[in-house]
Amino acid sequence: MLSMNNINKVFRTDLVETTALRDFNLTIDEGDFVSVTGPSGSGKTTFLNIAGLLETYTSGQYVLDGTDVSNLSDRQRSHLRNEKIGFIFQSFNLIPDLNLYDNVDVPLRYRGFSKQERHKRITQSLERVGLANRMKHLPAQLSGGQQQRVAIARALAGEPRFLLADEPTGNLDSQMAKSVMALLQEINQQGTTIVMVTHDPELAMQTSKNVFVRDGQISEHETLVPVALASNQ
Amino acid sequence: MKTNLEFGPICRALLRNKVGAVLIALQIALTMTIVVNAIFIIVERQALMQRESGIDEANSFYLTSTGFGNDFEPKRVIEQDLDVIRNTPGVIDAIQINAIPISGGGWSMSLTTEPGDDQEDVSTANYFVDAHGINALDLEVIAGRNFTATDIRWRERNQPDWPDNAMITKALAEKLFPDIPWQSVVGKTVYIGDDEPVIVTGIVDKLQAPWIGWSELENAMLSPEKMVSESTRYFIRTEPGERDRLMAELEDTLANAYGNRLIRNVTTVTETRERSYRQHSAMIKILSTVMVLLTLITAMGIIGLTSFNVNRRRKQIGTRRALGASKQAIVRYFMLENVIISTTGILLGVAMTIGLNMLLIEWFAMTALDWYYIPAGMVVLFVVGQLAVLGPALKAAATPPAIATRTV
Repeated sequence: MLSMNNINKVFRTDLVETTALRDFNLTIDEGDFVSVTGPSGSGKTTFLNIAGLLETYTSGQYVLDGTDVSNLSDRQRSHLRNEKIGFIFQSFNLIPDLNLYDNVDVPLRYRGFSKQERHKRITQSLERVGLANRMKHLPAQLSGGQQQRVAIARALAGEPRFLLADEPTGNLDSQMAKSVMALLQEINQQGTTIVMVTHDPELAMQTSKNVFVRDGQISEHETLVPVALASNQ
Repeated sequence: MKTNLEFGPICRALLRNKVGAVLIALQIALTMTIVVNAIFIIVERQALMQRESGIDEANSFYLTSTGFGNDFEPKRVIEQDLDVIRNTPGVIDAIQINAIPISGGGWSMSLTTEPGDDQEDVSTANYFVDAHGINALDLEVIAGRNFTATDIRWRERNQPDWPDNAMITKALAEKLFPDIPWQSVVGKTVYIGDDEPVIVTGIVDKLQAPWIGWSELENAMLSPEKMVSESTRYFIRTEPGERDRLMAELEDTLANAYGNRLIRNVTTVTETRERSYRQHSAMIKILSTVMVLLTLITAMGIIGLTSFNVNRRRKQIGTRRALGASKQAIVRYFMLENVIISTTGILLGVAMTIGLNMLLIEWFAMTALDWYYIPAGMVVLFVVGQLAVLGPALKAAATPPAIATRTV
């Protein structure tokens, strides 16, 4: 599904050169629910950005669902992002001037679906997160947990091969975080591969695999053993 | 990849955040109203300025000779002067004349086609010229004949009567006798001062009156007369390129030829035209400046609003990019947003443009706007809007998608 081989990412300014990822190697299989943990500044977000084709890398090879993305143009990367990846952001990133329906519609329009197809997908995905009855509401009229559910609906509407979640519960209280996590697990059980960046070891323990990142590399000995995996062992 | 235009979502978003968009739409409407009406006024004024006077303006000038002293003999001096001027190399011809076309000052009178004070009259400018008038003014006799030496008489100061014959412009012939071909006006009698008959012996192609704002500007009559006056005006037509040299030369020559007089006001017809149309050209400059400034201000308003929106929506743009928007899609989003705002402003502008034109017609007796000014104005403002939004839109498209994952 996702394979990174010796990925390096170096940020350069006139004065400073910072290596965010160093010989980063990771393979994620289809159906995995992978949590990425690590301290602040360890390279988690850089990994997420590269995995989500939001950023390019300095060297190495990244194959996403069979496509080597190294030499893709910006337009091709946008296309691939739209078709294969669903994003869930920490601060939801809903567009405040658009109602829920139009928010979920955003990636579908870039996909070029017909109006009927978009309507079907929007309705289905909002139903899936339990917000179909509020599709004309603006994001500001919803709670944080509901907004994150809309973001999940937006990510799911395009039926992506995998979801990238950046601290999806970071801005939510524990009750809402629990419900969002439950929703993500349900989505994963239905076959969608999920990569989730989180600070929260408790959440990481609920995934099928954990990757601990420190200083731009995977730190094998710090890797958590998720609950499901531990019980199998 | 086929992308759906976001017309509906943009409209709905604009309706929720309408202050800036409404202000820009109003600015576009106001700009269109003023620009379209200003262009119309400019074009009208330019057309007025481009009207031909009928004379050889580029190669003509005039001067005033004012004699003094008890022994000053106007007739003799005028005859001598004209003889000297006409025999100066480079001069095509010269006449004594009472008024200069398009200069702002002259004689006018009313003509009727039947005697009596209850007849409908036609106003005309009146020029006193001799048989050299046609050549000096560079006119063409298109029907009838030119004056001969025997037609010419001397007009004494305050002499009330008129010569027996005259030449008139084609425009005046058509006004006086609208029911017959203008060529047939030759030989017809017209009446000055209700009952003094004058026979039209010739028709000239074109000669404007001295007053450029006069509705009867094309009406002119040539009367075969020379004036007995201490102060007289000579109109001189030169060979091409000789005018400026001859202005200086003849001023000296005439001053030296007879001591007891002053030669003054040596002026080209070109200068006269510039002076007469100064208000028009000033108006054109003012309106052009206003138009350019307004259009620039509107363009800057659009740039400002879009730039503000781009900065305000940076995270949104990054999110859109993350969700699959290509750079072109982002540019298209802002261009389409501007299309919606501009179209609203332009449509409002159409109504306001027509409204202002109606007011101008009512208040200043202007003519109605030609229909094609409105679509032309719409296109111009639409293009200005799209060009203005292009820079900020390209800046928006350069927003990296990774900004979506930044929490600050």
